[in-house]
Amino acid sequence: MTQAEVFEVVKKNIRDVLFNLEGQEIPLAASLKELGANSIDRADIAVQCVEDLQLKIPMIEFAGVQNIEGLVALLTRKVNA
Amino acid sequence: MRRVGITGMGVVTAAGQGLDAFTLALQTGQSGIKQRPAASDLPLAFGGLLADFELSAELMKLSDQADGLGQKAQTVARRAPLSVQASVLSAVEAWRRAQLATRTIDSTKISLVVAGQNLNQGYHYAIQQKYQATPEYLPPRYGLHFLDTDQVGVLSALLGIHGEGQTVGGASASGNVGLMHGYRLVQWGLAEICVVVGALQDLSPLEIHAFAALGALGGKTIREADRACRPFDRQREGFIYGQGSGCLILESEASAKRRGVDPLAELVGCALVLDGNHLIDPNAAGEAQAMRQALQMANLAPADVDYLNAHGTASVLGDVTEITAIKEVFGEAVTQLWLNSTKSLTGHCLTAAGTIEAIATILQMKGGFVHPNLNLEQPIDDACRFVGQQSQSATINIAMSNSFGFGGINSSIVLKQWDAGRSQEASDG
Repeated sequence: MTQAEVFEVVKKNIRDVLFNLEGQEIPLAASLKELGANSIDRADIAVQCVEDLQLKIPMIEFAGVQNIEGLVALLTRKVNA
Repeated sequence: MRRVGITGMGVVTAAGQGLDAFTLALQTGQSGIKQRPAASDLPLAFGGLLADFELSAELMKLSDQADGLGQKAQTVARRAPLSVQASVLSAVEAWRRAQLATRTIDSTKISLVVAGQNLNQGYHYAIQQKYQATPEYLPPRYGLHFLDTDQVGVLSALLGIHGEGQTVGGASASGNVGLMHGYRLVQWGLAEICVVVGALQDLSPLEIHAFAALGALGGKTIREADRACRPFDRQREGFIYGQGSGCLILESEASAKRRGVDPLAELVGCALVLDGNHLIDPNAAGEAQAMRQALQMANLAPADVDYLNAHGTASVLGDVTEITAIKEVFGEAVTQLWLNSTKSLTGHCLTAAGTIEAIATILQMKGGFVHPNLNLEQPIDDACRFVGQQSQSATINIAMSNSFGFGGINSSIVLKQWDAGRSQEASDG
């Protein structure tokens, strides 16, 4: 799975959790916080992505993720492992 | 004593969502009890269920106003469980109708009481199914939503409430318990306004199954949705589950006056009496005592009451016990006392019932009518003045509303038309 495909999955879940982003672009470099996600939203987005990608990752691995790019990179690595 | 008025109301029931639709349902006897929607996994044939309930669509119906509440409600509750969403909807309507969106007060003087407990059973059940298959995909927000007090957080964030707030419980008497608690907060001067929300009790298949096993549910032999719920009728077979939420804004006379808002009614008495019994047995002595105490607090005699909104679940033993208690309290005045059960239209909304029925009572008071008691073909008592299957014109100045809960919890409240001429000083005397 390519990074671009994983990014699509991430974007879908960001839009699902943060409903007010309709029509707004989601830049890879942005952080979820900048898009308006609180800590619960961020945890939900991570778990929903993991579920969509059928992965099993301990939540602790998301601790170092700084932005969407980092999230996409981590998920891409896991999905292709 | 400070007078406590009701300055706003909002309601969500299967019979009607929003006060206008609900009023129409009460006037015309439009029942919300329907066949169970295919999407529901509850083991029952019918109920007063909120089919296809969708928060955003329902918020839209509340003719979106410039107060930003519609958008804010989406942010705080779009992904919340059904019970939270129903509370949000009834609270937004009540808040707007009380003109709190435009004529507000110091937010530290506003309190919040969410009435009910074990509100999210259906939600827990659904999550549990998922957890058993794939524990790693459990939604993290479950950590917030499993708490009944999540409702306190959500509603306080939505409405900007910074006074006291909590949940209170009393099984099916919860709504009245919430009103009683709110009444005390306002009367004691701990709040100028108290938002009381009777929360929807979202049952799972487990609770429905258990109620059926206890013999509490109706629909045993009467299998038509529109005939199954029959409070006070000889052929009644038990209660029909209903989903709903009701919100009432309680406010001190002084605060309402300052804001230039006319109260719809006054809460003048309330009482909560325990039977000292943990079972589901209704007890006429405890029920009568609750009614008497509520009247005593209101300084009223039984003959002063024009209308009684009964608990009336259509339970075989419960209905006959309530009638015994009513006759004990009202004596001969029972022949002049209008009597009906809103549950014949909404189903039994459990923790929210008290608030929904207080709202129904005030709507009838303001509208000058009493709503039908559906399916009352052969009343279990000949002396009582039951409203038949059609609504009737009625002048209601003073009304009582009963709510009883499993575990011997008996409650009664007394409502009165708001008399603007009666000043604070007069009521102190």
